Amino acid sequence: MTRLLKNVIRYGLLTLGALVMLLPFAWMIVTSLQSPTAVFAIPHTWFPSSLQWGNFSKAWHAAPFARYCFNSILVTFITTLGQLFTSILAAFTFTHLHFCGRRTLFAGLIALMMVPGELLLIPNFVTLSRLHWIDTYAALIVPWLASIFTMFALRQAFHAQPRSIYYAARLDGASDWQYLWHILVPASRTTITAVAILQIIASWNSFMWPLIVTNSDRLRTLPVGLTSFTSEAGTNYPLLMAATIFVIVPLLILYLGLQKYIVAGITQASAKGSSL
Amino acid sequence: MINAKPTLKSTLKALLYLAPLLIVTITFTIWPLISSFLMSFYTKYNYFTNQVKAMGGANFAYLWQNPDFHLAVRNTLVFVIGVVPLTVILSLGIALLLNQINWLSSFFRTIYFLPFVTSTVAISLVWNWIFHQDNGLLNALLGGSVDWLNDPHYSLTALIIVCVWRGLGFNIVLFLAGLNNIDNHYYQAAKLDGASAWQQFTNVTLPMLAPITVLITVNEIISSFKVFDQIYALFHGQAGPANADLTMMYYLYQKFYVEGQYPVAAASGVVLFIFIVIITGLAFWYFQRHSIKIWGRRS
Amino acid sequence: MQVTLKGIQLAYDRHNKIFDQLSFHVQDGELLALLGPSGSGKSTILNLIAGLLTPNAGQILFDETDVTKLDARNRNIGMVFQDYALYPQLNVMDNIAFPLKMAHVKKATRREQAQKLAKLVHIESLLTKFPNELSGGQQQRVAIARALAKKPKILLLDEPLSNLDAGLRVELRDEIRHIQQVTGVTTIFVTHDQNDALRIADKIIVLANGVIQQVSTGADLYRHPRNLFVAQFIGSPKINTIPVANLIPYISKEIPASILTQAVTAAFRSESITNDPVANALMTNLPVTMTHQVQIGRDSQTQLQFENNRLISTAISDNYTQKIQTINVAPRGFFLFNDDDVCIWEGDAHD
Repeated sequence: MTRLLKNVIRYGLLTLGALVMLLPFAWMIVTSLQSPTAVFAIPHTWFPSSLQWGNFSKAWHAAPFARYCFNSILVTFITTLGQLFTSILAAFTFTHLHFCGRRTLFAGLIALMMVPGELLLIPNFVTLSRLHWIDTYAALIVPWLASIFTMFALRQAFHAQPRSIYYAARLDGASDWQYLWHILVPASRTTITAVAILQIIASWNSFMWPLIVTNSDRLRTLPVGLTSFTSEAGTNYPLLMAATIFVIVPLLILYLGLQKYIVAGITQASAKGSSL
Repeated sequence: MINAKPTLKSTLKALLYLAPLLIVTITFTIWPLISSFLMSFYTKYNYFTNQVKAMGGANFAYLWQNPDFHLAVRNTLVFVIGVVPLTVILSLGIALLLNQINWLSSFFRTIYFLPFVTSTVAISLVWNWIFHQDNGLLNALLGGSVDWLNDPHYSLTALIIVCVWRGLGFNIVLFLAGLNNIDNHYYQAAKLDGASAWQQFTNVTLPMLAPITVLITVNEIISSFKVFDQIYALFHGQAGPANADLTMMYYLYQKFYVEGQYPVAAASGVVLFIFIVIITGLAFWYFQRHSIKIWGRRS
Repeated sequence: MQVTLKGIQLAYDRHNKIFDQLSFHVQDGELLALLGPSGSGKSTILNLIAGLLTPNAGQILFDETDVTKLDARNRNIGMVFQDYALYPQLNVMDNIAFPLKMAHVKKATRREQAQKLAKLVHIESLLTKFPNELSGGQQQRVAIARALAKKPKILLLDEPLSNLDAGLRVELRDEIRHIQQVTGVTTIFVTHDQNDALRIADKIIVLANGVIQQVSTGADLYRHPRNLFVAQFIGSPKINTIPVANLIPYISKEIPASILTQAVTAAFRSESITNDPVANALMTNLPVTMTHQVQIGRDSQTQLQFENNRLISTAISDNYTQKIQTINVAPRGFFLFNDDDVCIWEGDAHD
């Protein structure tokens, strides 16, 4: 009996918490399907009598969301791939190659993980404006092509592969380059997927940097485009919520599909903390 | 291969492999790190010509006397004190509950984690709507008429609510990983010794979770110090009513991007950095003192 | 291909030399076992031959070619690692074919050859499986097939049997011998288990602490150990050892005084101890007490106490009801060692 009671309490609390978590999402969807005036009706309704599906196409055309979406996809895609490429090469080097200053360089790079990226905002902005890169795709992408965290997580994964596999591949006639791409990368695909997804989330949702280095509509990413849309939408909450859904839904789908990798990735991420 | 000594050739090869990462890191992390420290000491600086005519501590002196900066530091500290304990305790509690149930456990985890994958800016806009004074959902549910976003007494609370709501999922996953790492043998041993459920919790679970708790707390403090996106979206590009939500990061943004006072902004960045270094240092000291190997490497 | 190591020196740092002046030779087509306790440097020798380790001094020759400085991937060596080192994300077929892929062999040819090799090691039904779906023995076979794929001149096997259970071990041991005979490839395998070495090797190198103790056939190592280490390491149960001084009163056979004065340790095999009369006995009427007798399969082992020494005999008939009072020692399997542990006299070499 007490056990049943305990479980009732447990599930009750968890359900209550889950409702709080879901509330903003649910309210966003409900609002997006109502007419601009209906949302102001008090008491609120969770089940609008008529669903305004047209809000989505109205919102989509009210601002260049197609363009924002394209920019977000492009920037996220190239940043993630580029970051994986630079990190894979470096992680391999720190795992298998012998060279002068290896320990020092690695320790130095790890120490950089402590530096808050925001501190670098101003000088980076200055650098980019000297390069005349402000308001270009390069500004959105190039500074993010290296991530020490990604490199570190991959090095941990590469390190976990038995060294005998490296030796076996070399004896089988593979060069370092061939071993890296034919054996090591495919063998570490779980970790690679995990860090890639974390990076996709970070890139897609990144806000402050694209806000600062873009001026024109042409180059805005979804989150920046969305905030500029808020002033146009004013109090048209249904349109605003519809636009919000454009930003949130792609990642929600990705998340629900690849959840186990994200959890694995965060567990990896905690290794960052253990390097304190 | 196993006992190969580094040679000039092998070092060159390694540098070639490292080049892409190093070039980007040097240009966009190492150089700006140095540069922002230098810039914080520029007292006469022309951004357009990149000329520095004088250097000194005037920017820091300015911050020392600037009431806005005082407000930013105060708001940031209040915000951190509001967000961190609440997030840590709630996520620990939820993680413990999730750990005790079997059925639907991963379903609940999925839901709690949703905010983490959600664009901060986007969901803050939703919260903005929920906080609406006359037509907002929150006032309707609470039966009050609080002007969450325009009353300086409540706007920081509103920000804290959003940040706690968003931060839970990530920390829950970390706590769950920490809980999974506790060897079941400890509980079996405790049970054999006649420990009650509560005694098991205080004598096994809590001490074993101490390192991960410190880790989560530090991480949460650092990211709270840097809060920006939520403010920008919640208050439509303002720092809240009467600067009630002006944090250090928002101050930096205003000085830098709105007012174009780069050296002052850089100096405020350095102050922020020093806060973070102190907190990280304290955590490091804690781990050293307790000589705890954090999980994953626990010996 | 012949393999020659000449004056190899290897040190991880100045104070820890692993090998100093290590030399040996392997004939073409030979199956050589490197036998020794763990830490004796067996696997290190394999790594040297494979090119994974570079010696600080000395030469490694394949036939007449000096390969000391040659990169591992150009030595044309097949190696089976102790943990098999199969590529986890490739199936059995692709694992076996990987060396061929690296050698730019056409895909159809690769598949055909991989199938042939799979047949040779009896895993043709597993080609589409992944390493984590295989048992230890199956992984071992895949590793051997992969090592053979590029038709190596030399096959190296690092503790190939140590991760397998007893039955499989015997089966694979014979399999290795069979494959080696079919392919005729010069094979060097490392083991800490004398049974593996004695059963299948043409020649055995016994190693201890980085030093070669003896190079010979299994039978020869047993019959004519060069030193005390080899005498003790080869043979089960372990050879009985006693200080010579304790035995002098019982020696019935003539041993030259010059030998006896040098001799420090006497060792004799368990099968040379009996309670029956022995023709030409080396020692007679040693007073002993029987402490224990066990039947181990076909053999019975008898533990005896002689003064302060424990002896083990396998030549005392079982179910002996009467407590044994005295024993005799046959000359065969009896050795004397000097204070450098070198064998200076064998019991049956002087008849």
